[in-house]
Amino acid sequence: MKPAAQPEIVVTHEDVDRAHDRVRVSAARAHRGFSSQARLLWLLAGPGVLVMLGENDGPSMLSYAATGARFGIGFFLPFVALTFCVAIIVQEMTVRLGAATHRGHAELIFDRFGPFWGWFSMLDLGIGNFLTLITEFIAVRAGLGFFGVPAWLAILVALVILYAALVSHRYWTWERITLAAAAFNLVFIPVALMTHPRWHSVGHSLITWQPLPGFNKDTLLIVLADIGATVTPWMLFFQQSATVDKGMTTKDIRFGRIDTVLGAALASVAAIATILATAPLFAHQMTADNFQAAEFAQALQPIIGRFGASLFALGMVEAGIVAAITISTSSAYAFGEVTHKPHSLNLPMGEGKSFYAVLTLCAAAAAGIVLIPSLPLVYVVLVVNVVAVLAMPPALVFLFMLVNDKEIMGTFVNPLWANVLAAAVVFILTAAGILFGISIIAPNIFAALGGK
Amino acid sequence: MTNKRSTPPISALDQNLALSSLEPDQLVGAKKHPIPRRHLKAPELLILWTLRIYLIFMTAVVAYQVWLAAR
Repeated sequence: MKPAAQPEIVVTHEDVDRAHDRVRVSAARAHRGFSSQARLLWLLAGPGVLVMLGENDGPSMLSYAATGARFGIGFFLPFVALTFCVAIIVQEMTVRLGAATHRGHAELIFDRFGPFWGWFSMLDLGIGNFLTLITEFIAVRAGLGFFGVPAWLAILVALVILYAALVSHRYWTWERITLAAAAFNLVFIPVALMTHPRWHSVGHSLITWQPLPGFNKDTLLIVLADIGATVTPWMLFFQQSATVDKGMTTKDIRFGRIDTVLGAALASVAAIATILATAPLFAHQMTADNFQAAEFAQALQPIIGRFGASLFALGMVEAGIVAAITISTSSAYAFGEVTHKPHSLNLPMGEGKSFYAVLTLCAAAAAGIVLIPSLPLVYVVLVVNVVAVLAMPPALVFLFMLVNDKEIMGTFVNPLWANVLAAAVVFILTAAGILFGISIIAPNIFAALGGK
Repeated sequence: MTNKRSTPPISALDQNLALSSLEPDQLVGAKKHPIPRRHLKAPELLILWTLRIYLIFMTAVVAYQVWLAAR
């Protein structure tokens, strides 16, 4: 459904910048052949790759590293790849929603379901994002700590990169800078290669899902955590808002899907590479349950040398910085969408004060908290997980209802087969999230399964 | 690229470019009009009430955990 006809058309700077981007897309689309298709992909890719590589954030990479160190090569290689397939199903819906409605996720929830759910979504997202941002800066601090960089300088470097991506006040430039930073997530591939993995074992694991880990409480919690971390609320809000800000239309949905699949492929390769990189620690029976980035790098140094360990630590830094950029941006988008303030990375500073203020202040405040001495990190991570559990079911339910809303989606509504798939994914993610939340809140419930 | 700091007036050329390149509901002006509220059917209302109950329960659980940790 289109909004009521406006009496007067006022063109803004945001419109003009977006129009310039669309002109390039139209020019590329006017030609046929491989090169024009490749150019279209170059122009239209971005939100999907950023959201997937952004989800390979500091805590996620630490989780993959811990998985490799605890279980080695086996069940978790194909399992991690499968979780990214699940992410594709969910994130593709946000591409269609954004392209068909030209509205962000929070804005659609506000308009279609009323202010209560609109404000709830924004506040819930904002709190979860803020806590997650803290964990991202912890990853940056720990990664640069490997090189002896003091905490304050590490945090400053991260903030400078975050703010540098914003200075052009152009979505396109911001996206390209962030994509360039996100590409560094693939640094885990050479690190994995340095460990000389047995490719026969890797191939065998990917095909047969063997060897299976022993089934106990710890394994179940890692499985639940991996499923729960597959799709997080900020991913839904970010990709839809970025699709809108980029100016994508229904003609671009095919490339939006390719962008999402490409992002998932890159992110799953980086995740698997991280598991492979730390698998030698499993062979050496090293306990790495509570390792931070620097400790993993130090533990790997005797195996892959100083250079390889440095790459590993830098990869953790990148994971934290890119996630900090995308997560803080998703908060700013949601704030603008719900409060009906201007919200675009194409906004000049004068017109987008509230948007840039939310973005920069969220990041700065989270960064500042990380510098507090004797910060209870374990408690912060616990609260992040619980808040994610609180936030995820509503976010998924609203996504499902919106993508089936014929009044706003028209012919781009979910077909029956997609609904069956999406309903299954929503059910599994919600159940896994709730179970994971229960495991944190009441760990004794899972004690019957054995384990530590 | 437009000079963002001084936000100069938009030229007629740029206005035409925006109007011809963007879909009508892509324009910032069009987005100031909210999309009408959805008329919810019984199953949808049931889902939203389930969500409300879930949220009240989870909020209480989180608050209890924070209180426990603070002690």
